[in-house]
Amino acid sequence: MDIRSLKQQSELSYNIAVAKRNALEKANSRMVMAYNGNLFHADANTIGLVRTLKENRDSFFLLDTNNNPVEITDADNFLERLIERNQEALNAYHQMYETFTKKGD
Amino acid sequence: MKQGILLFCFDTEHTKYHKILERCVGLIKKNLKLEITVVTNFQTYNKLGPLGLINYKFMEPEIGNTKEGKPWNNVDRHMAYELSPYDKTLVMDIDYFCYSDNLLQLFDTDYNFLVPDQAFDLSDRNSFDHRRFSQIPMVWATVLYFKKSKEVEHIFKMVKYVKDWYPYFNDLYRIQSKNFRNDYAFAIALQQLKGFIGYDKFPFALSTLPPDCEILELGDYGVKWKLHDEVHQIEAQDVHVLNKEIPYE
Repeated sequence: MDIRSLKQQSELSYNIAVAKRNALEKANSRMVMAYNGNLFHADANTIGLVRTLKENRDSFFLLDTNNNPVEITDADNFLERLIERNQEALNAYHQMYETFTKKGD
Repeated sequence: MKQGILLFCFDTEHTKYHKILERCVGLIKKNLKLEITVVTNFQTYNKLGPLGLINYKFMEPEIGNTKEGKPWNNVDRHMAYELSPYDKTLVMDIDYFCYSDNLLQLFDTDYNFLVPDQAFDLSDRNSFDHRRFSQIPMVWATVLYFKKSKEVEHIFKMVKYVKDWYPYFNDLYRIQSKNFRNDYAFAIALQQLKGFIGYDKFPFALSTLPPDCEILELGDYGVKWKLHDEVHQIEAQDVHVLNKEIPYE
């Protein structure tokens, strides 16, 4: 392998890394979700916490993205919406990721 | 509650902001589908192509501010509260292009005022860490969300006060750039009004393209740019474009 092809490979890897980073940021922005007048991040932490809390309680309190306390009274509905938003964002990220993988082959 | 978007647009001798506005309005209509009000002057309005049903408010911009030696008509942002015909308003710079409906989430909240304090550098150079340029964490007044209320009225009055005495505040907070920047005016006003503790922020960073990124295409679905001879692109992702040399067609 000559130095030119190594350079091409390096540039391609860099471009894929930047595109992946930007796509992940896009997914993170997409995970922001309004619920009951507050903002939440529909990420793995929130989903896991809501799922755990709802096992033992009908209603419970969570902190929103600005650390304001919010009472969740319909946990099933909230969890469903969180998962929906999370998967929508990650599905788009996955589609983008597939195109990176193909470029790298 | 009436909700909509407020935009400020004043051409200068160097920059055809009306062309940028045309692109911005098209994307808002496509992706946010909210009512739009544009604050402008007649010189700028007369150059605008047909934008469909939007509202206009006419005023002459306060002049005198500059950026890199060129006129910069950005001083009137403190008037957004009184100029907005909406109960819930999103104020946006016209170089912020909405390729998604993410910002709609803000209208479904009970927050009175939200502002972003983080920018994400799409060119992967982390060039927006502005903490080292002043003694106050900067906000990005590129996009502001507010609900009409006494509290928000006070915020905008405070911004006007900061604007009127900007050289003093600029020195006080040791801000490196000497021209007027809404980003600092809002940061200072919020810090002063909120007891120097904190304020509610956007839960995401504004994806931003630095000024040295050459914009190749500002399409219907995304942006393509060139940096160091490499072409990059994003799709369905909101973006703040700092290079005003934008391909218009």
